[in-house]
Amino acid sequence: MSSAARTPASARVAVTGAGVVSPIGNDLAAFDEALFAGRSAVRAHALDLPGIDLPAVPVAAAEFDVAAVVAPSRVPLDRGTAMALTAADDAARQAKLVAGGFDPERLGIFWGSGMAGAATFEMTCRTVYAERRRMRPTSVVTTMPNAAVAEIALRFGARGAALAYACACASSAVAIGEAMRAIRAGWIDVAIAGGSESLLTPGVLASWQAMRVLTPLAAGADREASAQRACRPFAADRAGFALGEAAAAFVLESADHADARGATRRFDLAGYSTNCDGVHITQPDAAGQARAMRAALADAGLSADAIGYLNAHGTATTAGDAAEAESIASVFGSNGVPVSSTKAIHGHLLGAGGAVELLAAARALASARLPPTANVERVDPAFAMDLVTGAARSNAGLAAVMSNSFAFGGTNAVLIATRAPQ
Amino acid sequence: MNPSTFDAISAVLVEQFKVEAGAVRPQVALDQLGLDSLALMEFVFAVEDRFDVRIPEDRLDPRQAGVTLEQLAALLDEAIAAKPTRDVVSG
Repeated sequence: MSSAARTPASARVAVTGAGVVSPIGNDLAAFDEALFAGRSAVRAHALDLPGIDLPAVPVAAAEFDVAAVVAPSRVPLDRGTAMALTAADDAARQAKLVAGGFDPERLGIFWGSGMAGAATFEMTCRTVYAERRRMRPTSVVTTMPNAAVAEIALRFGARGAALAYACACASSAVAIGEAMRAIRAGWIDVAIAGGSESLLTPGVLASWQAMRVLTPLAAGADREASAQRACRPFAADRAGFALGEAAAAFVLESADHADARGATRRFDLAGYSTNCDGVHITQPDAAGQARAMRAALADAGLSADAIGYLNAHGTATTAGDAAEAESIASVFGSNGVPVSSTKAIHGHLLGAGGAVELLAAARALASARLPPTANVERVDPAFAMDLVTGAARSNAGLAAVMSNSFAFGGTNAVLIATRAPQ
Repeated sequence: MNPSTFDAISAVLVEQFKVEAGAVRPQVALDQLGLDSLALMEFVFAVEDRFDVRIPEDRLDPRQAGVTLEQLAALLDEAIAAKPTRDVVSG
């Protein structure tokens, strides 16, 4: 496969705005600062529930006031939906996307979330079972998987497709990729695409803890320090992840549409692929992942050596990192591409992960620096990979980056971003 | 109308439903608050929960045109008065 134009440049989709609410910052400046310093936002979170041995689990929460967000529908918002609206507003502001500047029938909303309103539903059910009180009339519309899509569509008066994607930890990567396809196909001109997840409630945390994927924390005075370095992707001593909460949104446009309205192209989306392992409900499959990476490269018309940075899925589980190290090596060769996993600092953001990690990769592209994988003292010697650890690494010639998202259920999604033409 | 009941209604509208404080007056009708029927139902649930009472459905349909906040407050006062009194032990 060569970098010859298998895909015409016109098929690259412009990204003209980004917004984020995350454990490592709610604007791009704060996000960059923590991202390139490798500063972990993971903390110990007390969990006192029946049947759970661990007194605390590692969690990365966002500093976010849901009460400050006004819903277009005027109904109370799920916390994740409020984050989604905030990120979408910020992305539209950066893109200068205002009413009158686009055809509402050509604006689509593409949004990903793994469990959407599960936290709200959990807390609402508590009023029935624990407090013996009635459900609220808005329980359905705050819980439904397309709640964020609906609120964003209302905010911007979108009249094109408004679609919710639920494929666990690949949800928002798929949403962004499908928005890109819709623009390439000419179905719409503009999309607001991304994802959100906020599930840091007792029942959801306990569900993840029960799977034994959250890193056990040290006891006593060392607990907080062990929480901050709980997630150690691709390290020899990796022991699982921390759950986080976030939303990230992008404004995607056809290049013609962006140019016609004089919008600044922040970066381009050049390639996307999604597929399924079709092998196991939770076990990752290196072959499926490699197929997805190769297909995304083909979609972008790029060869593997064009990719200067890869933001890995990198969950820091024993099996997950081993499969991904193998799939990356099979596509790029041993030590073939600089890799980091930013989950070490912002936690596993589940359905929002693909969007936030695309943003991390895009920020690398914008600043010609590769974010480090925090917390890693020794890379697993079984992995032949160039893991960026310690400090951020400069790469002045960085022109194309890849972001991997691999989900429970076997869905793989890979996005490739490139510098926008100057 | 008990002023404290109206104040509580007003607080719910402003804090939870983001209605402008200046628009919340006793004579304003529910259907003039800028809330749709679902949000109005949610609002009535919220104020009922605030006082731990229920207004019987045959006394209030929030979607009915012209029901004012003053009337809602009066219905709440009725429901509060009808609540079984609890023994209050001081200290």
